[in-house]
Amino acid sequence: MEPHGKIWKLLGEIPDPEIPAINLVELGVVRKIEGEESNLEITITPTYTGCPAKQLFNDLIKEKLEENGYKNFSITSTLYPAWTTDWLSEETKQKLMDEGISPPVAGDRVITCPHCGSTDTKMVSRFGTTPCQSFHTCNSCSEPFNYFKCH
Amino acid sequence: MKKINIENKEAKFLTRIADTSLILGQRNAELCSNGPFLEEDIAISNISLDLFGRAEEIYNIISKIEGGTHEADDYVFFRNEREFFNIKLVEQPNEDFAWTMARQFMHDVYAEFLYTQLLESKNDEIKGLAQKALKEIEYSLLHSRDWLYRLGLGTEESNARLQEAFDHLFKFVEEIFAFDDLDKEYLPNCGELQSQWNKEVNRVLSEINIERKEYEALSMRDYRDGFHSEHIGHLLSIMQYLPRAYPEAKW
Repeated sequence: MEPHGKIWKLLGEIPDPEIPAINLVELGVVRKIEGEESNLEITITPTYTGCPAKQLFNDLIKEKLEENGYKNFSITSTLYPAWTTDWLSEETKQKLMDEGISPPVAGDRVITCPHCGSTDTKMVSRFGTTPCQSFHTCNSCSEPFNYFKCH
Repeated sequence: MKKINIENKEAKFLTRIADTSLILGQRNAELCSNGPFLEEDIAISNISLDLFGRAEEIYNIISKIEGGTHEADDYVFFRNEREFFNIKLVEQPNEDFAWTMARQFMHDVYAEFLYTQLLESKNDEIKGLAQKALKEIEYSLLHSRDWLYRLGLGTEESNARLQEAFDHLFKFVEEIFAFDDLDKEYLPNCGELQSQWNKEVNRVLSEINIERKEYEALSMRDYRDGFHSEHIGHLLSIMQYLPRAYPEAKW
């Protein structure tokens, strides 16, 4: 078993505050877990610099660890290497799609409607409900949807 | 009132960049719920969030360099006018939507080339921030540049109002490129920053029928020494009111 497998699993139970369908590990926020169980060192990275949810990452991780009996740990945030949507796995992207959020595509080119799967879609607004999303509509099924921007 | 001194050279240099991002963020935040229409309101507010987020990350880096004597919020809320080091361009008011977009465009072009140079920073945190910020800056630039084409090539009135915005804002450009030793220490190529900015701004203006006139230099002193236009005090009084009136307030 990978060292700290238990901790990774635990932190994988924390849903993203804005998009609860995916958790902080899938999102790539948790970068490193090091140290002994009695003295854990956790390194996290912010997603979008302007994401209001990033303020919560620290608190949520702290809460989770304390709930599970961990007392001595440090949480450090680092900006390098910079977080990117390339870190989202295919499985995570599918989860977003199932949630009605079109997942990031390189170059923001062919954007798929999460409702009907059509690629005949158009952007309504470059800026959406959160800093990570833009707002689109589908020309095939006429439904509106959010797109998780490439970052 | 606690006095905030920034001692380290790199921290001083970074304060210029953080303050520029913060003050423009605050200007854009004034339009939250006051935008010309819903999508634009959301766009400007999102850009504002990016600018605040970027400023916060840089204040955190400054705080680390300075040994943690102050937190990000202290730098934002407990400094006075003369202790802010933003370029004067970004404190200019939202006189008109054309002013907002011209200001944003001029800033975004500057930020794009500035953060590109920060990619070469010896400080990994700065490098990481620059990588991240550049994606957001390019996105904001797409938006502000788009608007310039619409306003410049729109109607006679939209063109005239955009021209008026540029005529005002260009007066605040000269100081941006009056680099000092500190800039030269942390930016690999200051001269290039200026020529790239001029080239891109002139290119866009020439395509949208906006004239870049000969602007008389203002007799204002440099932002690097904490000098501002008259607008900064009003902006700070609104931005800083709450934490100064209720220093223990938590949110």
